[in-house]
Amino acid sequence: MALVIVTILLPIVVGGLLLFAPRNDRALSRAIGTAVAAVTFGTLIAAGTGDWSVRWLSRPFTAAFHFGATPLSIWLALLLALCTACAVAVTRVERTRDFVAVLLTLEGTMLGLFLARDLLVFALFWDLMLVPVFFALVVWGEHPATAWRYFIYNFAGGLTLLLATAAFGIIYGSTDVIGGSTAPLVGAWAPWIFAGFAFAFLVKTPVWPLHTWMPPTYSTLPPPMVAVVSAVQSKAGLYGFLAIASVLLPEYVHEYATPLFVLGGISLLYGAVVALTQNDVKRIVAYSSLSHLGLILIAIASGNRLALAGALVYIVAHGLFSAALFLLLGYVEEREETRNLTRLGGLGWRNPRLSGALCIAALAALGLPGLAGFVGELVILIGVYQAGYVWPAIVALIAIVLASAYMLRLYQDVMNGPQRSDLPVRSDLTLLEGLAVAPLLAALLLVGVYPAPLLMQLSAVTTQSVAPP
Amino acid sequence: MTLPFTSADWTALYPIEILAVAGLAVIVSDFFGERAGNRYVSIGLALLGTLGAALVAAGQFGQNHDAFFGGFITGGFATVFEEIILIATAGSLILFGTVGPQQRVAGTVAIMLWSACGAMLMAGAANLITIFLGLELLSLGLYAMCASVDRKSARESALKYLILSSTATAFLLFGSALLFGATGSVALADFTNPALASNPLFWMGGGLFLIGLAFKLSLVPFHTWTPDVFEGAPLPVTAFMSVVTKAGTLAVFARFTYAALPVGVSGKLLLPIWIVAAISMIAGNVGMLAQHDLKRLLGYSGIAQVGYILVALAGGTPLGLRYAIYYLAAYTFMNLGAFAVAASLSDENEAGARLANYQGLGRRRPWLAAAMTIFLLALSGLPPTAGFLGKILILAATVANGYLWLAAALIVGTAISLYAYAKVIRAMYAPEGEHHASDLRPFVPLAWTSAALCAVAVIVMAFYPLTPSNVLPLVR
Repeated sequence: MALVIVTILLPIVVGGLLLFAPRNDRALSRAIGTAVAAVTFGTLIAAGTGDWSVRWLSRPFTAAFHFGATPLSIWLALLLALCTACAVAVTRVERTRDFVAVLLTLEGTMLGLFLARDLLVFALFWDLMLVPVFFALVVWGEHPATAWRYFIYNFAGGLTLLLATAAFGIIYGSTDVIGGSTAPLVGAWAPWIFAGFAFAFLVKTPVWPLHTWMPPTYSTLPPPMVAVVSAVQSKAGLYGFLAIASVLLPEYVHEYATPLFVLGGISLLYGAVVALTQNDVKRIVAYSSLSHLGLILIAIASGNRLALAGALVYIVAHGLFSAALFLLLGYVEEREETRNLTRLGGLGWRNPRLSGALCIAALAALGLPGLAGFVGELVILIGVYQAGYVWPAIVALIAIVLASAYMLRLYQDVMNGPQRSDLPVRSDLTLLEGLAVAPLLAALLLVGVYPAPLLMQLSAVTTQSVAPP
Repeated sequence: MTLPFTSADWTALYPIEILAVAGLAVIVSDFFGERAGNRYVSIGLALLGTLGAALVAAGQFGQNHDAFFGGFITGGFATVFEEIILIATAGSLILFGTVGPQQRVAGTVAIMLWSACGAMLMAGAANLITIFLGLELLSLGLYAMCASVDRKSARESALKYLILSSTATAFLLFGSALLFGATGSVALADFTNPALASNPLFWMGGGLFLIGLAFKLSLVPFHTWTPDVFEGAPLPVTAFMSVVTKAGTLAVFARFTYAALPVGVSGKLLLPIWIVAAISMIAGNVGMLAQHDLKRLLGYSGIAQVGYILVALAGGTPLGLRYAIYYLAAYTFMNLGAFAVAASLSDENEAGARLANYQGLGRRRPWLAAAMTIFLLALSGLPPTAGFLGKILILAATVANGYLWLAAALIVGTAISLYAYAKVIRAMYAPEGEHHASDLRPFVPLAWTSAALCAVAVIVMAFYPLTPSNVLPLVR
């Protein structure tokens, strides 16, 4: 079925054509961008698990442009389409037309990454998705150094991924292996291949100590872009662990569980503690991401079926609430012309709708029952504990408690307290702005009360991946 | 007295002969006609010559014939290298359309064609005499071409190249003499005798011969001439030099290492070359970081790119050779494309070579900037370009041959190179460069076409990996 390749190419092609649209017609660019992202959402559902394949290489190993959704990747692809549609709808940065074009290209390249069924194509899109973000950092970023940090860190990860893919292909004879029923790789080379994959995935996620590109990148990108990058691009590494490392090299995920626990645990605590001390609201959310993604890494390293199911729920939940948080904090910055927590305050009096939306997103992030974050955290904790890893579970619990502290601090200092007289007074959320975050918040609630589809989907994936220890 | 050569021998050289005659035609045509249109006549005739040579060379694919008693061997290997050389020559010739209007270009165009003849001779050369003949024909033309514009830096470049290249030739010649002393023959075919492995003369000769080639390939530590010569030479000549010299020398290197070395020798004799290639990949890319001139940047980049190609040859597998050829072809397009963009922005002062002039290009010349971005992404090995696929193929061949340390050096070098290439991309698109005022040349049809064709080739090659089989070098 060719619908899947249409889904990938549509945003890229429209993104290219958009550069011929009138430069100053912001509404047109936004409308086209939102429509394209919405169409990809629809075609993803319509395409189902149909796949599309064309031979690429036959030597030195076989590789194919093979695309198709798996029960795991479909959720990430849908999350991506949803976040892109919401983010594009409210883009107000300078040079809107070019920005929408870059954002659509980013969507297409990331769809290619998640829908790739071939390891080499996965590696291709892994590198390719860095380019639009680099462009965005160059054109709309605040400091040139940030662009370098982002590009070079992630490119280095991409290169080890490439080397590992080449070695894998040589040994295995084919890279057309994602989402199929492939026997795990063993042998003397396997640990090195795992190391290559793991480095790339850990840089992208990121985890401490490879995270230093992330806070500046997240804080200087325009809100619509960072919503997509933090919500979905950061999941590429975790998706790699779930769909590639856990399936093709399960022994090594299990064997190296302890280092992964340590890295995940440090990220969890370090991210949470730093988030408590930051004053830049975007950085708070950036460090909270570091913390939350550490939790997912622990879940994956535990290899427990329940924890893995929870990991998928939490991947989706984190995508939804971090996209919502970044978009909402973008509104705040646009209105008040600052994102410094010490200067903000009392916005909730005049902006009840903005305040309410931020409240929901923040509560989802701190794990309030009834919203998606809680389900993910709970299932992960039960799973990790069940697998016999008591200490990682305890560390995770501490970080979850800290999450309430920094998220409530964020909300309190922005929305509550006395009104600041030195801040500009602007109107509350417009209808369009409200509509842009409403689907994210609604999805948070939906997953929170009815996570069954996500949990059930993953059991299909995990039966073939890591066996419980 | 009758020559011992048959007509079949001369037929084998048809592509080279066509090119040489085209060079003569260019010179003769320059005597007639008015001055303004002359350059297009010269370029047109030269392109016609390269096209004819390319067609004839393509016809020789797969027909293994050893002409001149094994001095020149046609067939898959020679054809592939000849085609790459001809494409690079055509791509460089086109750029003559952009140099200052006052200049007469016919002489330089003709010399370029003859120089390309030398490189093509190297592609098929299978004895030491032909190798030397080809190398000297190539180099003599280059000395003259480097000095073809009236500029201090060009004269300096020519002199530097003359002296250092002659030194390299001396090494090569001395090595050849020792090899002859050890084997009693100039034919590469006679070097395969396993008994030679115990002959110290052979080892010394082989070592000196390889040093001579390393000079020509500008491998570290024999690379110091490259950036200076590249910077001083006129743009079309730099473009020519950056690809054709490498292609010709790589052909000799591949034939020497694949077909001519005895079994016991190749592993040990070539180890220093792989080490030097690894150092080149890192040092070349580090050298790029501080450059402010595109020609210097591409000079350093070429040092590293040759390293990548050599890595594919380590291990001596047929597949490795095919990937080396693939990467060389890809490199030809990306490099020529980058030079075509530079030429589109250049006048007599070669403004297009200065990186400062790329500021804000994304706004003022969006198409050229987009093409340049593609070439730079390809040079740094990012998708969706042939550079990406070339890297993965080379990595796969290297890993399969067990040279993991070379693969690691390639990874490190590539990671370093990203900064240098992306710096140019950043300059083109960063908002602070938008008010950078410099009057650009209007549309330059020839150079723009060349850039567009190269961009298409670089992208298409990523999806249709054309790696012809049947390209193993032969010696008779």
